[in-house]
Amino acid sequence: MTNEEIKEQLEATFGDAITHAEVSPHGECVIRVAVEQLSAVMEDLKQNKDFDYLSQITGVDYLEQDREPRFDVVYELFSLTKDRHIRVHVGLPEDEPTIPSVYHLWRGADFPERELFDMFGFNVTGHPNMKRLIMPEGWEGHPLLKDYPLTVEEIAFSHNPDHKSELIKTQEDVKADPWA
Amino acid sequence: MGVTEQGLLERDKDTMTLNMGPQHPSTHGVFRVVLEMDGEIVRSAEPDIGFLHTGIEKTAENKRYVHCIPMTDRLDYLSPPQNNLAFCLTVERLLGLKELPARADYLRVIMCELGRIGSHLVWLGTHALDIGAMTVFLYAWREREMILDLNEMISGVRMMTSYIRVGGVAKDATPQWLDGVRKFIDHVPAKIDEYESLLTNNPIWLDRTRGIGTMTKEDALNWSMSGPVLRASGIDWDWRKKRPYSRYDEFKFDVPTQDHGDVYDRYLVRMEEMRQSREIIKQALDNLPDGPYKIEDNKVSLPPRDTLHTSMESLIHHFKLVSDGVKVPKGSAYVPTEGARGEVGFYIVSDGSNTPYRMKLRAPSFMAIPGMCKMMEGSFIADVVAIIGSIDIVMGEVDR
Repeated sequence: MTNEEIKEQLEATFGDAITHAEVSPHGECVIRVAVEQLSAVMEDLKQNKDFDYLSQITGVDYLEQDREPRFDVVYELFSLTKDRHIRVHVGLPEDEPTIPSVYHLWRGADFPERELFDMFGFNVTGHPNMKRLIMPEGWEGHPLLKDYPLTVEEIAFSHNPDHKSELIKTQEDVKADPWA
Repeated sequence: MGVTEQGLLERDKDTMTLNMGPQHPSTHGVFRVVLEMDGEIVRSAEPDIGFLHTGIEKTAENKRYVHCIPMTDRLDYLSPPQNNLAFCLTVERLLGLKELPARADYLRVIMCELGRIGSHLVWLGTHALDIGAMTVFLYAWREREMILDLNEMISGVRMMTSYIRVGGVAKDATPQWLDGVRKFIDHVPAKIDEYESLLTNNPIWLDRTRGIGTMTKEDALNWSMSGPVLRASGIDWDWRKKRPYSRYDEFKFDVPTQDHGDVYDRYLVRMEEMRQSREIIKQALDNLPDGPYKIEDNKVSLPPRDTLHTSMESLIHHFKLVSDGVKVPKGSAYVPTEGARGEVGFYIVSDGSNTPYRMKLRAPSFMAIPGMCKMMEGSFIADVVAIIGSIDIVMGEVDR
């Protein structure tokens, strides 16, 4: 099955749920799926198209590009037995960023899906162990959102007796006077 | 928890929770795992990461492409050239650069394979040290020192080389450096045999590694393992062969695989990989083409330094590149490459400016940790250390 055939079969099976499909010149099939049909499409890719290896899951926040919907989740899937590559994009709206888990299909989705929640605050439904992964428990905010400010974290303690916490610049200080 | 009539502590459950790490010499960095112990046997293992989080992905969104390259060194700090390469290949794909000068690709390959040998030497030394073979650690460090010296010779830095740049490499290789590499590859095969003579048939080593941390073919795929771990489980998959980049298709080398998928098989695979890397470096040195070491498009790579005094155009290009950086066309790309630990790749989204809009690292160690904790289930506590060592995690790229 070539990339062209995979693309045609997916479009024939899922119709309108595949909002965009192309075969890139680098030998990968790139599709965009409506989030309602994501579980069905992923199931089909795993069971019928032999995509047995989940390489990674990524979130992208398109806030600065004024795009609708605001978020993208990108799945990088390979078939190591049949040598295939597909990239699945899923758009998520700002007001309800909820996405079904694919943990039951690929166990490798465990950490990346927790990272999606940790870094972007997406609500991944059906994941058995959904909690923060990299940031500490009780951390406020989701760092990879584009409206999460890039600031200096306050030092919790210091052995330097001259340390003054007012020397630390926050994002607001930098905005107010970039040359300070 | 109460106290029994005999004055003993009364346990409210049959298992004991044991905390391992983050400050533990055998977790290879700041990795914490909470083990649910039933006597000596691990019932479940819960990983806890994030102690080394430095926010590299967020930082990259505020830095120019050229500034991202030194940060990629710090992800997998044991084989930095492979991170540089993965990043540069992705940016080059976004820029639409089809082909680089042959010399640039060959120098990249030499650096990456040196990095792979260096990384495997660190793995071998620390892994053997964890299991109790101290001598190998000292021997492996001795050979790694030669690689660090070569790094210093070519880039001025011993570890974080940042040698591979968008459009080529930072500097041309000198004849002295090429001599040094040749000396190293003449020296290293006997040393690999020496390590093997210490370990491969050593009964203690066999007892500690055979049949430990076994992972089947199906499980290895399902848990997104990659690199040597995948190949030790019997899946013949190497990105250098399957999606050749940097002219890897011009080199003859084998991809070692094993069938059992235990700690011992991963050891065998990595030892053979070091020999194959040496073969690749030898072929690259023998056939190293002459010519430019980076592309001549001065909108992407800096013009030669000596032309700045004579050519107005070079001066303008130099000024624009240093002060503003290269503008990358809108789009997104992902190029998988074979790092020392497995599939390394950057997913980069560009909005047409000189900074990446989103940069995501696909880190092999990060993806391997859930599978690694699954391997620990049912094993003895003493084998947990062997399993962690055999996966060869680097916390720099796990926490990013």
